[in-house]
Amino acid sequence: MVELTEAVLVRRACEGELEAMRQLYERHSSRVYTVVRRLAGDDDLAADLAQDAWANAFQKIRAFRGDAAFGTWVHRIAVNTALTRLRQQARRRDLEQSFDGSGTLGNPDRWPASGAADRVMVQRALDKLPEGYRAVLWLHDVEGYTHEEIGAQLGIAVGTSKSQLSKARAKMRSLMEQSKSAEVVDHGASN
Amino acid sequence: MVHLTEETFSELLDGGRVAGAEDHLADCPVCHGELEGLRRLRSELRELPELEAPPQQWEEIAARLPYGRRPWLRGQLRVAAQVAAMAAVFVIGLGLGSMFRSSEPAGEASLPQVVADQPPASSLPDAMADVQRLSAQYNAALANLERLAQQDGTPVPSLAEHRLASLNALVEASRTALSAEPADPVLNAYLFAALEQREEVLRQMGAQPGTRRPGVMWR
Repeated sequence: MVELTEAVLVRRACEGELEAMRQLYERHSSRVYTVVRRLAGDDDLAADLAQDAWANAFQKIRAFRGDAAFGTWVHRIAVNTALTRLRQQARRRDLEQSFDGSGTLGNPDRWPASGAADRVMVQRALDKLPEGYRAVLWLHDVEGYTHEEIGAQLGIAVGTSKSQLSKARAKMRSLMEQSKSAEVVDHGASN
Repeated sequence: MVHLTEETFSELLDGGRVAGAEDHLADCPVCHGELEGLRRLRSELRELPELEAPPQQWEEIAARLPYGRRPWLRGQLRVAAQVAAMAAVFVIGLGLGSMFRSSEPAGEASLPQVVADQPPASSLPDAMADVQRLSAQYNAALANLERLAQQDGTPVPSLAEHRLASLNALVEASRTALSAEPADPVLNAYLFAALEQREEVLRQMGAQPGTRRPGVMWR
């Protein structure tokens, strides 16, 4: 089968061609799912957000002007969709109560085997952060957003974004240390 | 010893400078270790792997999209609509041409009636029916024009040129549709039929004395 260029797929998707949309989805589904999963903190919400993001993207694909790559464009839509939903829901989690190992691991079936334990630990700590902390931390440290951009996205002041970032980093460190300590205890008990 | 605050660590992590912080870090292994731990954690965050989207997610997304259609049907519908529109224009053109040229009463010309503002076909069978209907009208108009041309002694080559222009347009429409669906058998059949017909017209024009064989008209 001939592999079509992304520009051709986008043009066809603009004409409403479902197969072109499916191929665009296949190319970028991991990237979109990953970012909404990181921001959401759990699998079910992430699945909903990814669906919303793709539906939004295809509904407004005629507005895509090709200034950036399609992947960048849809990634941005995914971030916006996730942040909008998270703001609307204003979900808050109880850190101390939920950090007991029963929380989601981000579906370990979809994690690579190599270094999986360490990564699961990082993901789990990230999931346990309060929603606002997690969003600021991920957007700044991984996505590369500035505090001005984060402030605009989340509707908070630049100073608040900076403050949340420092708290988020400290909390992550704390959670990671707790997690490592717990692991040492577990291993000790099983020996 | 008073340790650095989380705000100071964060500032240092982002490459900022905080008065006295470097001196403190040089003397304080606890804060130095904390800063290194934060750096390591940021790296670990950035190295988290991409996750696969849940299976069946595409089906759920597709179910929410209101306008997806099967691509081959779209291609056929598009070319059928183009052919129908072109045939309509050509029939109108022939009809008008024959009216201007005819010395006979209009009633005897028995030109086909073409409804120019007919709504576009909404399905492939409808579009194909339009094509067949317009093709019949086109043939009737062509025969009528040939008869009129023979009656008043006007050379037929202009008629062939009309026909060639129409076939060129049909080739163009077929190629446009095929650029989107190269393997579609129906679209390929349109193109081959149009090319064959065009070749035949070009042969006829070349065989007629005094007829200027046109160069490439469309591509």
